[in-house]
Formats: sequence, structure tokens, C-alpha cells
Amino acid sequence: MKEETVVSLKGAKKTFRDFWLRPTVNAVDGLDLEVRRGEVFGLLGPNGSGKSTTIKMILGLLDPTSGKVEMFGRPPRSLEARSRLGYLPELSYLHPFLTARETLMYYGGLCGLSRGEASRRADQLLSMVKLQDVANRPVGGFSKGMARRVALASALVGRPELLVLDEPTSGLDPVSTKEVKTLVKALAKNGMTILMTSHLLADAEDVCDRVMILDHGKSVAEGEVAELGESLEDFFLAKVGNADEFVLADFLS
Amino acid sequence: MRRGRAIVFATALELLCEPLFLLVLLVALVLSSIAPAMHYHQFGEASRMARDAGLSAILVGGIVIALTGPVRTFRREFETGTVQVALAHSVSRTMFFLCKTLGCAIAYVVFVLTVAFASLTVVNGAEIGGTIASVRGNIARLWGPSLLCAIAAIVLPMLIAAMLNRFARFRFTLTANVLSLSFAFVGVFYRLDTDLAGRILPAAFLASIPALILLAASSAFAVRFTGNVTLVLSAAIAVIVLPALGNYCLSDALAGGGHVPATYIAAAVATIVPAVAALLALGVHFINGRDVK
Repeated sequence: MKEETVVSLKGAKKTFRDFWLRPTVNAVDGLDLEVRRGEVFGLLGPNGSGKSTTIKMILGLLDPTSGKVEMFGRPPRSLEARSRLGYLPELSYLHPFLTARETLMYYGGLCGLSRGEASRRADQLLSMVKLQDVANRPVGGFSKGMARRVALASALVGRPELLVLDEPTSGLDPVSTKEVKTLVKALAKNGMTILMTSHLLADAEDVCDRVMILDHGKSVAEGEVAELGESLEDFFLAKVGNADEFVLADFLS
Repeated sequence: MRRGRAIVFATALELLCEPLFLLVLLVALVLSSIAPAMHYHQFGEASRMARDAGLSAILVGGIVIALTGPVRTFRREFETGTVQVALAHSVSRTMFFLCKTLGCAIAYVVFVLTVAFASLTVVNGAEIGGTIASVRGNIARLWGPSLLCAIAAIVLPMLIAAMLNRFARFRFTLTANVLSLSFAFVGVFYRLDTDLAGRILPAAFLASIPALILLAASSAFAVRFTGNVTLVLSAAIAVIVLPALGNYCLSDALAGGGHVPATYIAAAVATIVPAVAALLALGVHFINGRDVK
């Protein structure tokens, strides 16, 4: 593995099985992927293309059926590798009984920060995501956008070197979406490596240096955004399907 | 260490914020506080009835907490996805499982201590009531002290928690649970060094044994199976464990005001340690072998 490679997948395959261990679906099928230090890498694809499964294999939450997955040159379950990671899942998974501040303190604790350090970091991040006024309210009562901002702050609490964002703008209004994109660009500018998934091509076009397009668990295209043609959307549709293929006319008639 | 502490704290907090926990605690407190006063034929053994009601409440309520607590917290982690975020940190799955189980055990201990302390207060009240009755000769000897205890351990914490929730945004359930423990403790603290405490607290520990084994069992099964399957499997373990209670001869030990012998406590520990260790090892195996979707 090259020095600058942060995440590497070689021939990674993930087959889900049912209770009787019969294979049900090949979510990821022989994927090769490299994310280099300091870049913003976008994993694109339609729903069910294997983006989240790929992310979960990188995080060590799912074990690959075959192939090799490495993060910082180590297996994904390595604690040393995961101590350099921040993760924002597709849905804002938060403990509803914890307040926003307690949530950040909790994740600060999981990053190994001392209580004082976690408290300072929580204040800093709450003010960054503009939630300092509701810091002491349980997150169970938050709107989707507010919960998303808490989840984003949680991902940053340990000052990660690699930030994994699964659909980071999912459920956000246009203003919050723009704020998230600005934040991603700022973090990348400061040298953070970012791996994000999205099916919103405009998001990827705005913030990613390189992208990979997945379809049915396989890579159908990979390269720098500028290399993939004038419009990422046209390129994407050409690779993974086109709206013209839908028999809408038949359906409507 | 910090990572483990964060998980233990968050789990204990989660369970203490649960309405179900508060409900079971209230039922146990009502049983141990009011039930002795409901019996008119006490044959001069009002304090013994108060003590037995308290221990029964610990046994039954403790089993409910031990079965449902781990199921709810582990299943919620897996079903809402919070486990994904936790395990994306530098936290091993083994540590996550063991620390969450410890958090459940802490919530359970809060329950046992609250009910045990409340029982001590009621027994104390029954003894005072008995003295009054021997002078006045009326049947209402238990009502006064028992109701005072009920108000202290049940009604006042609820009222204060409601006020704190209304005016200071404190979490109602958590505040009520903590206040119940504090009130029960304050009501009894001056008797902690007495013979009575020396009997009831070890007896509460013995009554907790099947619950602690069930807590380890339901934690282990909850990381592998759905909530319903976990409850069925844990109930099967309960059927095996509960009859073994007879071995500890609780009623023998307590009859006639005797102490619980140290040998009973030692036998209990010798039973609980390997059983809990085996179940926790099973849980560690389950969590390390599964995909976290």
C-alpha cells in the first residue's frame, strides 16, 4: 500500500445471507478502491448500489465475504486505525435521552478525551453547528436538521484524520446543505481526508476531488470529477441508467 | 478506561431515563410500603411482613428490570443504529458489550438499593407502630409510618421531579428515580449500622442473584437475537435459575430474626460468578461474530 493511501479495498465482496446461510444478495462485488490522504472522495450510485455496505466494511462493522479492506494500512477492526476516524451515518443515530452536550461528551469519551477536554470540544462544536442555545435539551426532541448537525459535530469531536460521511446532506434544507458543503470544503482545505457517499450529484460535483460510481455493487466508473465530462449527472445517468428507460408513458396512459 | 466509563454512564443513564424502570420501581415501592399495612391479621409480626414484602418486591421487580433493561438498551442500539457510531470509534466490541452490561447492572443496583432502603424504613416504621399499638391497642399501628414512607419514597420525588421538569427542564424520569433513591436512603440512614440493616441488605443481595444471572443472559442473547427471542430464551434461563433459590434458604435464615450466614453469601457468589462469566463469554462471542448493519 502506498504511503498516502488512507483507505484501500482490493477485490472486496460482501454477500448477505439469510437465517439458513443461503446467499440473498451480493451487495458489493469485487470492489477495488483507494482513497488518498487529503482528498475528498465521493462514492456515488443509486439506492441499493452498495455505497453504505462499502462504508460499513471500511468501518469494520461488516466483515467482507472475500477480499481485503484496510484503513491506515491496518484491518478495519484495528482500534489504532479507528482512533483516527470520524463517522457520520446516513441517518442521525443519536441517543434520544442524551442532551446535545451530553451526546458530544459521550462521543468525546469514546474518542478517549478527558472530561474537561470533551467539555471544551463540545462547546466549540456546538457553537460551530449553531446549537449552543439548545445544548441542554435532549436530542430526542430535535428536528431532523438539528439532529443532523449534532451527528456531524459528533463525527468531528475526536479531531479525526479521516472523515466518513454517509449521505451527509440527507434530510437537510438548502441552507443547511450549503453549510455542510462549506464545512466539508473547509475541513478538506485543512488537510482532512474525506470519504463521502451521496446520490445527490450536485453535492458530489461541488465538493469531491475524485468520485467512483457504483452500480449493483460494482464500480462502473472512477476518476476526477473534471475528467468525467461536463456534467456529472449526464455521465452518471449514462452509466447507471436513464430516466428514458422508464415506461412512464405506458403507465400514465 | 475513559471509553468504557462513557459507555457505562450512558447505559445507566438511558435505563434510569426509561419510564418502564420508573414504573417497576414505583410498583415495588408501593408493594413494600403499602402492602404490609393492607393485612389486618398481623399476629404481632408487622415488621416481618414489611420486610418480606420488600424482599419479594426486590425479587420480582428485579427480575423484570434484569430481563427488560438489557433487551431494551441493546436492541435499541442495534435497531436505531447508534451501535454503528459507537463501534466506529476505537472501542472494541468486547468492551462495548461488557460496559453496556455493567451499565445495566448499575441501573439494577439503583433499583435494589432504593427498594431495600425503603423496606428498612417501613420495617422501622412498623416497629415504632408496634410500640405505639402496645400502648394504645388499636389496629392502625402500621398506617401512619407506612404512609409517611410511601409519601417520602413515592409521592414527594414525583412532585419534586415534576416541578424541576416544569421550571428547570430536568428530565422527569431520571430525576424521579434519583430522588426516590435519595429519599429512601435519607429515611433509613440512621439505621444502616443496626442489626436490621445487617439482615435485610444481605438478604436483598441473595434475592438479587437470579436477577443478575438473568441480566447477563438477556445481555448476551440481546446482541444476537431479536427482543422477543431474547425474552423467551432468558425466561428459559429463569426457569432453570429460580428454583435454585431454595438452596439459599432465605426464609430459614430470616425466620426468627436470624442473620443470613456468611456461608450462604459465599455459596451465592460461588454460583453467580461462573454462571455470569459463562453468559458474558457467550455475549462476547455473539457480538464479535455478527455483522453490524
